[in-house]
Amino acid sequence: MTQRFLSHADLAALVAAHKRVIAPVRAKDDARQTDYLPIQALADAALGAALPRRSLKEYFLPPTEVLLSYRQTKEGVEIKEVPTQAQPQVILFASPCDAAALEVVDKVMDWQYRDELWFGRREATTIVGLLCSSMDSSCFCSAIGLGPDSPRGSDVLLTQVEGGYLAQVITPKGEALLAHCAATEASAAAVAQAETARKQAREKVENNAPAIPNEFGAWLEENFDHPAWKTMALRCHGCGACASVCPTCHCFDIVDEHDSSEEGVRRRNWDSCQTAKFTLQASGYNPRQSQSERFRQRIQHKFSIYPKRFGEILCTGCGRCCRVCAGGMNLPEILGGLIALAKKDQGESGQ
Amino acid sequence: MNIYQPHLMRIVEITDETVDTRTLKLEFKAPEMAREFQFSAGQFGEYSAFGEGESTFCIASSPTRKGYIECSFKSTGKVTQALRRLGVGDTVGFRGPYGNHFPIEEMKGHSVVFIAGGIGLAPVRCAIWNVLDLRDQFKDVTIVYGARTVGDLVYKRELEEWSRRADLRLCLAVDPGGETPDWKGEVARIPSAVEKAVTTAEDTFAILCGPPIMIKFTLPVLAKLGFAAERIYTTLENRMKCGLGKCGRCNIGATYVCKDGPVFTAAEMGRMPQEF
Repeated sequence: MTQRFLSHADLAALVAAHKRVIAPVRAKDDARQTDYLPIQALADAALGAALPRRSLKEYFLPPTEVLLSYRQTKEGVEIKEVPTQAQPQVILFASPCDAAALEVVDKVMDWQYRDELWFGRREATTIVGLLCSSMDSSCFCSAIGLGPDSPRGSDVLLTQVEGGYLAQVITPKGEALLAHCAATEASAAAVAQAETARKQAREKVENNAPAIPNEFGAWLEENFDHPAWKTMALRCHGCGACASVCPTCHCFDIVDEHDSSEEGVRRRNWDSCQTAKFTLQASGYNPRQSQSERFRQRIQHKFSIYPKRFGEILCTGCGRCCRVCAGGMNLPEILGGLIALAKKDQGESGQ
Repeated sequence: MNIYQPHLMRIVEITDETVDTRTLKLEFKAPEMAREFQFSAGQFGEYSAFGEGESTFCIASSPTRKGYIECSFKSTGKVTQALRRLGVGDTVGFRGPYGNHFPIEEMKGHSVVFIAGGIGLAPVRCAIWNVLDLRDQFKDVTIVYGARTVGDLVYKRELEEWSRRADLRLCLAVDPGGETPDWKGEVARIPSAVEKAVTTAEDTFAILCGPPIMIKFTLPVLAKLGFAAERIYTTLENRMKCGLGKCGRCNIGATYVCKDGPVFTAAEMGRMPQEF
């Protein structure tokens, strides 16, 4: 991994040189909050402010997107394809939890059938992560095995140092991004300063939640019928807000929208396993009838099913689900409770 | 062409099976698809009525019959009602084939018992014709099929045809109260009909599809007859959107019906979390 130094001016030039740059920007409706939005100049970006309210997911899997359009006449149906190639874009100051999430979701999007719409956008995007300094008590990235300094999913990872940024070049795409940039060799002082900043950032989040043990997924699978599930979701309203802000939730619905007498589009829309109709069958039968069953699915999918199928936890510990939950459901707290149950079982079986 | 884009198919024949169940015979519009399309018995597809959306059904025709596919569906929701409004010559969308299939190759050289209830005959019919079209490669063939009433029996012309064949045993049944004065079949629920019609599990595979309640009460009958759980095959019909393992809807624990199924053995189903 090569390390370079970028001055503020270098980074500003980099932003100016690219047509489409997305970065955290102060929310218009709430100055304490940020959203990932297109910027025109580096000065538009909110540096070191709160974690953006929504993840980067919407830039790869939009809340709603057209899969095809069609024209239906007496002569038959004509389908118009949508392009799978996307406009090049740079995402600047991506939070490491959001950047990592993209690589995690890549696995399911490439499972036997390649989702070209997702990968079209992935391939056209260069991600410049930034050492996270906006963690709060809901963050638990280190419990997942990531961290505020995780390079995962970023092409370049920046750390603020005196006078600019230390840039760790992680991928060839990152190399290409910095090729036309006046970045210089990083000084030893800058490298040391960045190392201290990374260590401090890790310490801030490490005590928020205990690390998830390797055998946790297997315990969840074995304890599908554990009585704890019954009461765990009593505060869950089933609104699905957690899924919409989650960087890794990727479930979707496919619907047709008939626009005129002849034309229409087929869309994919975000959906959530927390809503009551998600698994409702045509016969009226629903395999997941209660909210506790639906909540169990969410936990099982993230911490047991996805790890079993893809070797990855489907969560990056961003904590957004806790921040938006109207019922006050707190994922690290819930995980802590489940891990304690798992450990208790282990202790008992060990005796 | 992205993975969510369907192929266009033309409706070439419509058969009304019951008052609310219909079979569409479909041909690919693109000649190369018509020539090259292949599938295995038990696989499914996403069928679309443009303007209303997609629905998941099995392919109900046999892979031994080339050049077309058939699907059978009961009108219950938006898409199935829209499909019902279409006529011969109209266009539907099709994505597939998806999922795994019945072990037709493994079954060769053995006897097969087919058991179906109601519209559950659709996936079983696909396997039945596959076996019958290669009849000399199998030993005994038994079909047990039942529905709530005589009016709910599907594929009636084929039931006629099977009843006249000497190389298979057909047992038809309707629930008590569902019979008509001229009904010649059994008046019994499927589990009892199976108990009567099937005498041995020796060297035999069982394929079983129907409503969950029928499966639930037929499995113990098959076990009592001596069928190993690994030799009993059924299909699961969970709600799906993509059929490709991405939309996150059809899983039962870590098992994805669209990718690991829709065909499962009774042994596999016993190991799944009981959430289906």
